[in-house]
Amino acid sequence: MYVSKFEASMATNFVIYLALGALLCLATANGEIVNTNVERTLDLTSQLVKTTTKISAEDSAGKPIVEYVFFTSEPSLAYIDVKDASDKSVPFKRNEPVKGEQSFTFTFPRAAAKQTFIVETVASKGIRPHPEEIRQNDKQFVKYTGNLHLYSKYRTNSQKTNVKLSSSNILSHTQVKPFSVSSNKITLGPYENVEAFSQEPLVIHYENSAPFVTVNTLERTLEISHWGNIAVQESIQMTHTGAKLKGSFSRYDFQKEGRSGLAALKSYKTYLPASASGVYYRDTNGNISTSNMNAVRDFIELELRPRFPLFGGWKTQYTLGYNVPSYEYMFNDGNKYQLKMHLIDHIYDNMAIDEATIKIILPEGSSDIRLSTPYSISRLPNELVHTYLDTIGRPVVSFSKSNLVESHISDFTLHYSFSKTSMLQEPLLVSGFIYIIFLFTIVFLRLDFSITSHAHKE
Amino acid sequence: MDVMQRYVSPVNPAVFPHLATVLLVIGTFFTAWFFIFVVSRKSSKESTLIKELLISLCASIFLGFGIVFLLLTVGIYV
Repeated sequence: MYVSKFEASMATNFVIYLALGALLCLATANGEIVNTNVERTLDLTSQLVKTTTKISAEDSAGKPIVEYVFFTSEPSLAYIDVKDASDKSVPFKRNEPVKGEQSFTFTFPRAAAKQTFIVETVASKGIRPHPEEIRQNDKQFVKYTGNLHLYSKYRTNSQKTNVKLSSSNILSHTQVKPFSVSSNKITLGPYENVEAFSQEPLVIHYENSAPFVTVNTLERTLEISHWGNIAVQESIQMTHTGAKLKGSFSRYDFQKEGRSGLAALKSYKTYLPASASGVYYRDTNGNISTSNMNAVRDFIELELRPRFPLFGGWKTQYTLGYNVPSYEYMFNDGNKYQLKMHLIDHIYDNMAIDEATIKIILPEGSSDIRLSTPYSISRLPNELVHTYLDTIGRPVVSFSKSNLVESHISDFTLHYSFSKTSMLQEPLLVSGFIYIIFLFTIVFLRLDFSITSHAHKE
Repeated sequence: MDVMQRYVSPVNPAVFPHLATVLLVIGTFFTAWFFIFVVSRKSSKESTLIKELLISLCASIFLGFGIVFLLLTVGIYV
């Protein structure tokens, strides 16, 4: 009796083991994707970490690869884009982060046993100043901490990493053989047979004199007038997020010595659309006169010089505005209108924006407002704003997005309806107001205010 | 997108200053006429009310449009 019971439990156990084994076999047969070759390029010349990863993946069972899960260990990834070998973009979706690890699932439009694709990522806070505080005449050294291998769910047969730095002054870097250094370039690898989820630190400590400037808040306001104008206003607060300035600032040293304040931001260039006119650059004190405007072939180059050089930890804020004609960005068909404009625009090269708020002020009486954006944004509630000659207020569409870089410069589309006769509202409002004054005059002149009665009437 | 055309202002922005000048001049003329007319009125018995209303209506329409185009000229895009 006892024996048979034991035997029975053994049998069930065996069945469970068998089932588990079969499941495991199935799983391996399904998901055995191997990265045959990985080539990474890390561009660390500016304050941003720009990574280009060329991955050749293969299914060991020869099955077509439809989905590929890409992990990224960048703490503040701002932008990701995937292209296949023929430069066509590959659709992807962001997965729910597990234990702080971000992953993306790429879905290939054409399933094949061998896939080659290029992943481009830009992260904004991967490079830290080290030391964190420097004197005015010191050079700025920074430390990049990353992963020596591609952080991947799959095993990698062979991989190589090319690192491009801003200068050949490299204090130290991770030395895992084979590697080679030539002036400002480091080549790490090729490393053979790297296991999945392998994490080995890659630390590079080098000189980077590029100003580390972050735009803390950008408030971009687009005011649309159907009289043929779009007024753009950007109010910007920026901080130098590089090595902080230690000790006092000497204007004399700064003016006299060329190598003083190398990492300070003295001036920068902002590119505006070619049709921009009436440009102003001001802060709370008024106009900042140290700016230059040059019209280049297809854009306007604006050289902005803040009131003071921006050292580590220093802040500045200003307002930049201009007008553009409506025919560049607005389209219509009867009462249906469409606005197609840059969501954010260029502020300075290799910019990093922490938080951007975009407000679009539509003319009074606009309805059926529909917004489509190139990437996900967080929409803020619509509001009403009252400016010149308004009665019920102009509808304002506003939305925000955090952690933006230059790659985010692309067009949004806003659809709305507006009837042309509403444009007559403003002149008629003024006319009505003046007419009331006239009527008041007419009435006033007909009243008799004399305190004595007239002795004789004409 | 294919059916949509580029949107241009119903009034060419280049003529805003001229339009503002002309409309304001005409409006001022009517205003002047109106005031000269009312103060030189012989007596309140004459039935001049319709004429006064019409002159002031013309004046206010021209002034209204003139002021709006003046605002547009100086860069206040209403």
